[in-house]
Amino acid sequence: MAFLSRFGLRSTFAMRSLMIRPLAPTKRLQSQLSFSHRLERLAPGVLLLPAVLVVLFLSIAPLVISLLLSLSRLRFVAGGLQIQFVGLANFERLLFGREQRVLFGVLDTPNPFGWAILALAAIGLARWVGSALRARAGAAAALGRAVSAVLLLGLLYLVVASLFSEGGRPGTLTVTLLYVVVGITFQYLLGLALALLCAQQLPGRTFFRVIFLLPMMITPVGVGYLFRMLADTNKGPLEPLWILLGMQDFAWANSAWGARVAVMIGDIWQWTPFMFIVLLAALEAQDVEPMEAAIVDGANGWQIFRYITLPAILPVSTTLILIRLIESFKLIDLPNILTNGGPGTATETLTLYAFRIWRALDIGGSAAIAYILLFLVTFIATLYVRTIRSRIGGGL
Amino acid sequence: MRSLFHSRSPFKPSPFAALVSYLLLGFWALLILFPLYWLITTSFKLPADVNNGPFYIPFVDFQPSLHAWRYILEEVGNDTRRNFLNTVVVALSSSVLALMLGSSAAYALTRFQFRPKLGTVGVFLACVLVTIALFLVVGLPLGASVAVGAGLFVISLLTISKRFKRLLSNSDIAFWLISQRIMPPVAVVLPLYVVYQQLGLLDTWAALIITYVAVNLPIVVWLMRDYFSTIPIEIEESAQIDGASRFRIFFTIVLPLALPGLVATFLFVLVFAWNEYLISVFLTNARAQTMPSMVVAQNATRGPQWWYLSVLVTIMIAPVLGLAILLERYIARGLLVGAVKG
Amino acid sequence: MNRKWIAFAALGALTLSACATPPQPAQPAQPSQPQQPSASRKQFEGITINAITFSGPQIAEPMQRRGKEFSEATGATVNVVTVPFSELYQKILNDFATGTNSFDVVVFAPQWMVDYVEPGYLEDLTDYVKNNPDIEWEDIGLFFRDFSATYNGRIYTIPLDGDFQMVYYRTDIAKQLGLSAPETWEDYLNFAKAVSEAKLTTEDGKPVYGSCIAKKKAAQSYWMFTSIASAFIQSKGTEQGAFFDTETFKPLYNNEAAARALEIYKETTQYGPPDEINLDVGDTRGLWTAGQCALTIDWGDIGTLAIEEGSKAKDKTGAVILPGSKRVLDRKTGKLVDCTPELCPHAINGINHAPFAAFGGWSGAINKASKPEVKTAAFAYLKYMNQPAQSNVDVTIGKTGFNPYRVSQFENLDNWIKAGMSEQAAKDYLGAIKASLNSPNMVLDLRIPQNQYYQQIVLDGALAKFLAGEQDIAATMKEIEDGWEQKTEELGREAQLNAYRATLGIKK
Repeated sequence: MAFLSRFGLRSTFAMRSLMIRPLAPTKRLQSQLSFSHRLERLAPGVLLLPAVLVVLFLSIAPLVISLLLSLSRLRFVAGGLQIQFVGLANFERLLFGREQRVLFGVLDTPNPFGWAILALAAIGLARWVGSALRARAGAAAALGRAVSAVLLLGLLYLVVASLFSEGGRPGTLTVTLLYVVVGITFQYLLGLALALLCAQQLPGRTFFRVIFLLPMMITPVGVGYLFRMLADTNKGPLEPLWILLGMQDFAWANSAWGARVAVMIGDIWQWTPFMFIVLLAALEAQDVEPMEAAIVDGANGWQIFRYITLPAILPVSTTLILIRLIESFKLIDLPNILTNGGPGTATETLTLYAFRIWRALDIGGSAAIAYILLFLVTFIATLYVRTIRSRIGGGL
Repeated sequence: MRSLFHSRSPFKPSPFAALVSYLLLGFWALLILFPLYWLITTSFKLPADVNNGPFYIPFVDFQPSLHAWRYILEEVGNDTRRNFLNTVVVALSSSVLALMLGSSAAYALTRFQFRPKLGTVGVFLACVLVTIALFLVVGLPLGASVAVGAGLFVISLLTISKRFKRLLSNSDIAFWLISQRIMPPVAVVLPLYVVYQQLGLLDTWAALIITYVAVNLPIVVWLMRDYFSTIPIEIEESAQIDGASRFRIFFTIVLPLALPGLVATFLFVLVFAWNEYLISVFLTNARAQTMPSMVVAQNATRGPQWWYLSVLVTIMIAPVLGLAILLERYIARGLLVGAVKG
Repeated sequence: MNRKWIAFAALGALTLSACATPPQPAQPAQPSQPQQPSASRKQFEGITINAITFSGPQIAEPMQRRGKEFSEATGATVNVVTVPFSELYQKILNDFATGTNSFDVVVFAPQWMVDYVEPGYLEDLTDYVKNNPDIEWEDIGLFFRDFSATYNGRIYTIPLDGDFQMVYYRTDIAKQLGLSAPETWEDYLNFAKAVSEAKLTTEDGKPVYGSCIAKKKAAQSYWMFTSIASAFIQSKGTEQGAFFDTETFKPLYNNEAAARALEIYKETTQYGPPDEINLDVGDTRGLWTAGQCALTIDWGDIGTLAIEEGSKAKDKTGAVILPGSKRVLDRKTGKLVDCTPELCPHAINGINHAPFAAFGGWSGAINKASKPEVKTAAFAYLKYMNQPAQSNVDVTIGKTGFNPYRVSQFENLDNWIKAGMSEQAAKDYLGAIKASLNSPNMVLDLRIPQNQYYQQIVLDGALAKFLAGEQDIAATMKEIEDGWEQKTEELGREAQLNAYRATLGIKK
C-alpha cells in the first residue's frame, strides 16, 4: 500500500457497514454534504461491498455446513437428513486410520537422492527461519516461520519418502502436489513463451492468438474425453506411431508414470492458454517508453526482457500462479475421465477421492477431505503470498 | 485513438527471429489444432468407423456421416436448444455481472484503504455459525434462524466486538476473497442445494447466475487489481482536480485503460461459467440444465458415445471461439500510452 | 469512449433482468379449465406426471415415446427429465431427502432401492399390483418379481428391463480352433489362452484378443469380478447370498473361493488387450463389434449391439450363461470343496452356475409424497410400459436399452429376427438369458444401505490396486474384508444384516 500514501490518495470516506469502519466525519459536517458529495464519500464502499456481499452470501453457508458435515455422519431417514455428530472420527480415519494409505501412500526410507533433497531443503528452511531471528522481526514472526518450515519439511518428506524410495508409493496427496507443481511450471513457462512470441509484431499473429485460446474453451469434461480418444493406443490417431515405435503392446494406462504423464499433458494442454492470455494482456498493457529508451541505450533483447518486461509482468504472474495453484489442487475431471484414478491409485487426486466417496454417500468423509485440502492450500497460499508476492511487490 | 493501436519498434522482430517465431508458433498451433481436428472428424464418424479406426481423412479413409449431428440437432434437438440457450444466458450474464462487481471491488481495493475490525468479522462469523446450526441441527425455519443470528450479531456488535480492535487490511480482504475458491465443488454442492431449495430457486437461471458470479468474483478481483495497479495514478489525480467524481473516473478513465485486462478476464470467467458441470447438474433438473450436462450424459450405460460427444463439444466451442475472435483485438497495446500522452 | 460504457452498463442491467426464471420447456399447455364432467373427458385429464431417469437414448427414449402414447390415451401429461447417469442416484436421493419432491416417477436401478425404501421415500406398490391383473405380473421372470421388484416382501418397483451378466464368445473362432462354449471358468481361461496363442487377426490386420473384460477402476469392473466369484461362493440358491453370511454378516470375500476368483480375474488380463486395465464397457463393446475379442463378460447389450450396422461380429456372437465351477466354497471352513448334490443342489452336470443379476435392470418406482391422483396415474403409466403389448416390442429394439424380463418375451422369435438377428443367434441369445433367468441360484446384487460404498469404494478400490500390482491376493482380500467390516460397524451390524436378509427375502 506504500504507493497510495506516496500519491497522497489515502481516502477519507464515510461508510456505514458491518465490516468497514468509517473514518466518520462529524455530524454537523455530514449534514452539510449534498447527495453527490455523500455518494462520493461512500464510493469506496459502494464499489467494494457488492462483491463482498455476494461472495459472503454464497461462501459462508457452504463453508460452515461442510464443517458440520465433516464432523458428522449423514443418514437419510424418513422426512429428511439425520446428522449424527461423530467428532473428529472422519479426520481420524483419513489421517491415522484405514484410509491413511489413500492420502499419504506408502512411505519408505528415502534413497540417497531423496536424502539429498531433504537435506538441501532443511538447510534452506533453517536459513529462512534464521534470517527472521537475525532481523529481530519479533518472536511471533520467527515462530510463524519455524512452524511453517516444519510443516513444509514434513510435506516434503511425504513426497520424497513416497517418490524417491525403494518401496514407497505416492498417495493422493502426493499425486496432487505433483500435478500442481509440474502443471504450473510448464503452464507458466509455455504461456510466457507463447505470450512473448505473440506480443511481437508478426503478420498473422491474430490467428495464433485466437487458436491458442482454444483448449481453455473446451469444457474440462470434454478435454478428458478428447484425450481419452487421442491416447487410445488401439484406435486413436497415434496408433501408427505406437506401431512404428514397436510399442503396440505398450499401454500407458498400465504404468503408473505413463498414466500420470498422460494426465499432466492434458492439464498443461488445457491450462497453458489461461497463462498465455493473461500474460499477453499484461505484455500489451506494458508501458512502451522505458523499452524504447533501453533500445536507444543499446540494450539487447535479453536485457530488455530481464530488466524491463519481467518486472512489469511479475505482479500479474504471481496472481496467475496463485490462481492456478488454487485451481490445480482441485484437479478432478482429467484423471476422472482418463483413468478414473487408476492404474491402482496412481493418478488419483485428493478431490477425485473426495468425489468418489461423496458419491458413495460418505459425505462426512468427503467434507473432511475438503477441509484437509482447505487447510493445506490456505497454508501454502498464505506462505506464497507472504514470501514471494510481497517481496515482488504485487500490491499487497 | 486508432493510430494508438499500432505499436513501435521494440516489437518488430528481425526476419530470422520472425522465422523462428513462426516455427514455434506453428508447432504449438499444430499441437492444439490436431486434437480439435480429431474431435471434428469424429463427429462425422459412424460408431463402426471409430471402433475400427483410426481413420484420418473424410471421404478418403471413411465416409462421413451426419448421423450424430442429426441426433443432437433433430432427435434430441429440443433438449439441445434449451440447454444451449440456458448456457448462453447463464454464462453471459454471470460473467458480465462478475466483471462489473469484481472490477469495482478490485478498483476499490487498489485505490482506497479499508480497515475492517477483526472483532467485528469474528463476531459476524460466529453469528453465521449459530444461524446455520439453528437451522440444521435444531431445525428452526430458515427465516427464524436468520432473525436470531442477525439479532445476536447486532447485540454482540454493540458489546463484544469493541474489545478486539485489531484491524484488517485490503490484502486480508483480497486473500479472503480468493480463499473462497479453495473448497472443491464437491464440498459445496450439497449446502448450496439446501440454500437454493429453501429460497425456491432450484432449477432456475437465477441460482446458476448467482453461484457463478460468486465463484468468479475472486478471480476477477485478483486479476483486475493487478491491471489497475499498473495504471499511473497521475491520470486519476488530474481528473480529480478537474472535478470528476470517483465513479466518473472509474467508468470513463480507469476501465477503458484496463481494457486488455478486462477482456482477458472476461474471456476466462465466461469460459468457466460456460463449462461448469458439477454445480450446474445439481442445481438444475430440466428447465435450466446447461450444455456440460449433455456432454457428460453421453457416457452412460453403453460407454462414451464418442460421436455425440464430439458434436456437443464442437457446438460448445463455436460461440466462445467467435467471441474470442471478436474480442481479441481489444487485448492490444497502446491504449495506455495514448491516455498518458493525451 | 463514453458510449461504450453506457452499453456496458445496459448489458449489465439486461443480464440482471435475465435472472428471472427461464422459459417453460415446450410442453402442451396445462389444461387448467374448470373441471366439467363430459363424456369425452379422459381418465387422467389435467394430471402431470414428472419422471426422472438418466439421459439415454436408452431407457429415456421408450419412456418418452410411450409417455406420449399414454398421454394421448389418458390425457395425463408426462414430463421426462433426464440427468447424466453418474448423477442420477444422488440427485434422486437429494430430491427426496430435502423434501423437494420434484419427481413423481423415478426410474433407476433396483440396487439403489434400499437407500430409497428404508427412509420411506417410495410408495408401496403391492396393492396396486394386486388390483391390476392386466399387468400380468406372473409373466415377469420369477427372479425379477420376487427379488428385484421386492423389498422385505413388499413390491416397490415395476421392472422395465432385465439385467444380468452373461459370457459372449465368438462362434467362428470356436469352430476354427475346435473349442466349445465355456462351461466353467477354467474353460473360459483355456478358451482365452488358446485364442491368444493362435495370434489371430481381423480382416484389417488388428489382433484378436482372447478375452476382453472391462476392468477400468471406478467404473463397472467390480460387477465382472462378482460374476466370476459368485460361481465359487453361492451354490444353494438366491437366498444363500453371495456377499455376506446371512447369519453373522461376515464378508464372504476373504477365503479360498475369493482367492481363486482373483486368480482367474488377473489371469484373464494376460489374454486381453494391453490396456484392458483402463477399459470401460463402452470400450470392450467397441472392441467386440470391431471383431477384436473372442470372449467377454457383459449384460444383454452385446446381443443387440452385435447386429448393428458396421459390426464385424454379426452372426458370430454366441451367448452362454455365466460359466460355473465344480468346486465351491464350504462356508464353515472357508475352503474350496468339490460339489456334492447336497452342496450344489442346482448344479447342472456337476457344475454350479450362479448367474449374476448385476445392477438389476431399470425399474420404475413412485414417490410416496406425490398426490394420490398423481400416484394412480403414475402407476398406470408404469404399467403401460411394462405390459407385454408394449414391452415385448421394446426389448427387441437396441436403442431402448431394455433387455428381456418377461417369459412371453422368449416365446416369439419373430421380433428378434425382425430386429436383425439370425435365427441361430436369437435362439442362442434367448437361450442364455432363459437359462440364467430360470436359475434358482441367480445372484442378487448387493442391496444393503450404502451398497455403493461397499462395492464402488471398497471392493472396486481393492481390485484396482490388485490389478495394478500394488498388492497381492491376501492383502486384497483383507482390504475388502476390513473395509466392509468397518462400514458395517459404522452403520450397525444388526441393521445391515436385517436389510440384507430383507433383500434376499429371508423371513425371520
